[in-house]
Amino acid sequence: MKAVSARGEVVLEADEPAALRAGPPRMSLRRLWRFKWGVAATAIILTIVGSAVWAPWISPWDPLSVDIRHRLGPPAWMDGGTRAHVLGTDQVGRDLLSRVIYGGRVSLIIGVAAVLVSSSIGVLLGLAAGYFAGRMDWTIMTLVNVMLTFPFVLLALAVIAVLGPSLVNMIIVLGIADWPLYARVIRAETLAIREREFILAGRALGMSHARLVFRQILPNLVSVIVVIATLQVARVIILESFLSFLGLGVQPPTPAWGNMLGEGRVYMLNSWWIATFPGLAIFVTTLAINLMGNALRDWLDPHMKL
Amino acid sequence: MRRTLVSGSALFLLLALGCPPAADAQTRDDTLVYALQSDVDTWDPPNSVLREAIILGYHVFDHLAVRDLKTRRVVPNLALSWKALNDTTWEVKLRQGVKFHDGSPFTARDVKATFERVLDPAKKMTARGNHAKIKSVEIVDDHTVKFHTDGPYPIFVERLTALVMASEKVIKDKGHEWMQEHPIGTGPYKLVKWDRKHEHLLVRNDEYWGPKAPYKYVRIRIIPEQATQIAELISGGVDVIKAVPPDQIDVINKSGQARTASSPILRTAFLQLDQAARSGPNPFTDRRVRQAANLATDMDGIIKHVLNGLGDRVATAVNPMAFGFDAGLKPYKQDLAAAKKLLAEAGYPNGVDIVYNQGPPTVEPGLLQTDEAIVADLTKAGFRVKQNYVGDNTVFVARIKDSKAGPMFSFSWGYYSVFDADAILYDIFKCKETYAYYCNPAMDDLIIQGRSTLDQKKRAEVYAKAQKLAFDDAAYLFKWGLRGVWGISNRVDYQAPPDEVDRMFLVTPRKK
Amino acid sequence: MKRYALRQLLQLGVVVVGISMLAFAILHVIGDPVLLLLPLNAGKEEYERYHKLLGLDKPVYVQYWKFASRAVQGDFGKSWYTDTPAFTLVLERMPPTLYLTSAGLVAALLIALPLGILAALKRHSLVDNLCTMLAVAGQAMPIFWLGIMLIIVFAVRLKALPASGYGTWQHFLMPAFTLGAFLAPLTMRLVRSGVIEIMNMDYIRTARAKGVGENTVVVKHAFRNACIPIITVLGLQFGQLLGGAIVTETVFAWPGVATLTVESIRNQDFPVVQCAVVLLALIIVSVNFLVDMIVGLIDPRIRLG
Repeated sequence: MKAVSARGEVVLEADEPAALRAGPPRMSLRRLWRFKWGVAATAIILTIVGSAVWAPWISPWDPLSVDIRHRLGPPAWMDGGTRAHVLGTDQVGRDLLSRVIYGGRVSLIIGVAAVLVSSSIGVLLGLAAGYFAGRMDWTIMTLVNVMLTFPFVLLALAVIAVLGPSLVNMIIVLGIADWPLYARVIRAETLAIREREFILAGRALGMSHARLVFRQILPNLVSVIVVIATLQVARVIILESFLSFLGLGVQPPTPAWGNMLGEGRVYMLNSWWIATFPGLAIFVTTLAINLMGNALRDWLDPHMKL
Repeated sequence: MRRTLVSGSALFLLLALGCPPAADAQTRDDTLVYALQSDVDTWDPPNSVLREAIILGYHVFDHLAVRDLKTRRVVPNLALSWKALNDTTWEVKLRQGVKFHDGSPFTARDVKATFERVLDPAKKMTARGNHAKIKSVEIVDDHTVKFHTDGPYPIFVERLTALVMASEKVIKDKGHEWMQEHPIGTGPYKLVKWDRKHEHLLVRNDEYWGPKAPYKYVRIRIIPEQATQIAELISGGVDVIKAVPPDQIDVINKSGQARTASSPILRTAFLQLDQAARSGPNPFTDRRVRQAANLATDMDGIIKHVLNGLGDRVATAVNPMAFGFDAGLKPYKQDLAAAKKLLAEAGYPNGVDIVYNQGPPTVEPGLLQTDEAIVADLTKAGFRVKQNYVGDNTVFVARIKDSKAGPMFSFSWGYYSVFDADAILYDIFKCKETYAYYCNPAMDDLIIQGRSTLDQKKRAEVYAKAQKLAFDDAAYLFKWGLRGVWGISNRVDYQAPPDEVDRMFLVTPRKK
Repeated sequence: MKRYALRQLLQLGVVVVGISMLAFAILHVIGDPVLLLLPLNAGKEEYERYHKLLGLDKPVYVQYWKFASRAVQGDFGKSWYTDTPAFTLVLERMPPTLYLTSAGLVAALLIALPLGILAALKRHSLVDNLCTMLAVAGQAMPIFWLGIMLIIVFAVRLKALPASGYGTWQHFLMPAFTLGAFLAPLTMRLVRSGVIEIMNMDYIRTARAKGVGENTVVVKHAFRNACIPIITVLGLQFGQLLGGAIVTETVFAWPGVATLTVESIRNQDFPVVQCAVVLLALIIVSVNFLVDMIVGLIDPRIRLG
């Protein structure tokens, strides 16, 4: 039996589910040192999130204010650059630094919101499939198989083309893209947990299904969900840039990293900074999220196979 | 196990490397490569609105008359001469000894069949409107035809440049559907192969009646990415590209591989405002709001700073190169206070929400950048603009035709290469025309009057009035006459065409 | 093996039906095709007429049945834009995409296999860390950015490769690498974890204890068994690859089915979209089926499980 996540990572069904192994993680300086990369990554992410949250206070300019007299200004350290625009200006003279800061806002909102959507759907369906098993399991897993086989990017594009590329639509579509991954993992874990004594005991005591699932099983799965969700935020940010590249992402003039990179790509041969800084922002953020996710996994449960 | 792996990877390798089509027979030296951003929808030019279809049409078909690119006058082509017998009849003599690609001779019967096909309302041909003034075509002899027009038709000769001649045999025997993919013309090139959305291969028509094209083959490649087009040009893969963004000119000129050339072109850009309420009620039905929009934007500044001067500010949509252009009419100047005041008078003291549908920059250089600047200006005056970018030109045009593009959308008009004010006024300012989102009976009267007058001086006066009306009524948000920028490889010589019709049969190898 | 094949085939059937339903739903649930076809100011009568003409007045299952029974015969209707049968249009453009994805897969393997094995063997060494960083970095890179960078370096600066297009083997190199780089990080992680897992297995330890040379252990025993998850994943990656192919094809002006689909989506040319989606899914499903068969042949345990 194979089990593969939506991004193609094998989630080899563990012989013993994570929940059985996971003890409460201990905190100590030495332990922290082992995760130095993860800590550094977390610090970077906190910085990025912070700058996104406080964007109106820290960004030097209004990200939408066009100044056609100062277009294509290079970054401050280059010839012709000014201190007023540290990272330079874009094709219509907007301050690039401010746009990167505000762009992070939009990109992160999309990433986090889409992951909330996909994890909610995926966890619910995964729990249902694993807990009730039988026909419910078969139906949900068939659905998962269809979704995994379907060239999903195409579906996302189609839906956005019909509904129009608004922020909310993008969140919904990207959210629906990813749920099978959660469903698959959660189902496997649930299948294993439901046979354990405390659940059997609860059942014998006549606890309701809802109580068993949400009070007894779900808490055991939190660390798995947190790890997947973290990693998926990075994937959604990349997907957003895909959609923007194809003109179906966040619409101008609203800055998002993806559409800034998309708009700036024709300037790669001369005003390279327009595409490079948002590209770098995507790169650093997804890199940091991946590192943090990996560290989180090792910290919560070194045997978790994701 | 190992065998499976080996055969598996062998299969992949075979798929990956074994199967691509064999290299083309033509060599780089006798092949000219021209790039387009999007493909044509059909090889039947009168059935398409796309500029690309007109361009391709020039290579495979011939027109009765063509424009001399130096003098910009219309000169004979498949027609040898023409004269007006009276107000409503034109006699045209045809060239003899011309052959279609299928070997059949070109005669008066083909002219009649071509016009009748385009004029047939049942066929719904796009170009019908261009020729609707023609009532009937009469064959006098094998090489003489008479055109009967519905009233006087002053731009009859101009319009002869706007229709490609197809063969009667093909029209009757093969039919409309077949013609969509199989062009049989009399032109300098023949179509060898059309790979949809990828490439057209043309081969020289060695039996062409006119001067032979220097290059034996023309490959027309469809390259949607502008960055890729420029990379191809400066790495020697492509010889001619059009609509180079103004900001990329220096990249090409500094490459040592290619250069740019620019020319004013017969195309005016503007933002259409849905005065006619084709897409439903909207603020632009109020003249004050349209005026406010015109007063809000600093078009001179945008031309200077964003387009690097590559644009000619006009008071209305009539291009400076077109007959009837009134140079005395002064364009709107930016005046934010006046704009705000007008908006307030119109009932929007706190600003107004507007959706702006933007097309892709296929024909208009720097469109995306100038659009941002225009939107920024509008915002300053109190228009809250929501931009809706439509990335595909075919879709965008379809949306405009379907009355779905309002209340405001980017637009530019190439006059079907007819250098006359009528070629924009009729199509864009007359009530209920396919692309017109403006409707004003007073304007319609002037347009009809201009069309029905043969005296050019009187026509010029009528068009001056029409332009004054369009300006006072702020029919649209007026921008500028465009200048096209071409990227040309250093291995060839080529003149930028003022009518935006690239003619690859005029490209010559560069003399060393 | 026969039973296993049958079971997989049945599952394949279910998935295909599911996908055809999804493709059908794109048009009929999400959007109203009549509204897309008609101008906004069209009257109610005209609407009704089109509604009937498209058979939308019938119950959904009847419509689906009609769609499915035609689709089986390769009839997806005519493109709304070019008036050619959607099936022909899609089929014409299929080979370039298949070549591109195959080449991308090969490129991914060429990158991922050596690095993955190396990382696994030198676990927790500098090499391993570098490979992991490379993989994470590769995942964090938008591939159109990589594609444009490649064009700038290899076509514009070095003039070594054609910047775009399709035809000769040179045209394959940059697109294949771009797509390969998109897939390689995942594959590499997989190879690494697969090899690590297997190196810890009893029989490897036994082989080592018996004094079999390290190279033989790695090549003959470890790699062989690590292949199973890799093959499985590569099969499933075909769907992912198509996502990458859309962008790769656009950057390199590659005349494949992925760009056709995107264009048709933008054109709201739904017959073409449906046809492309169904055919692509069919290919993906068949590849998966083949992979299952291969894996089943290699590892008898899977057949029973």
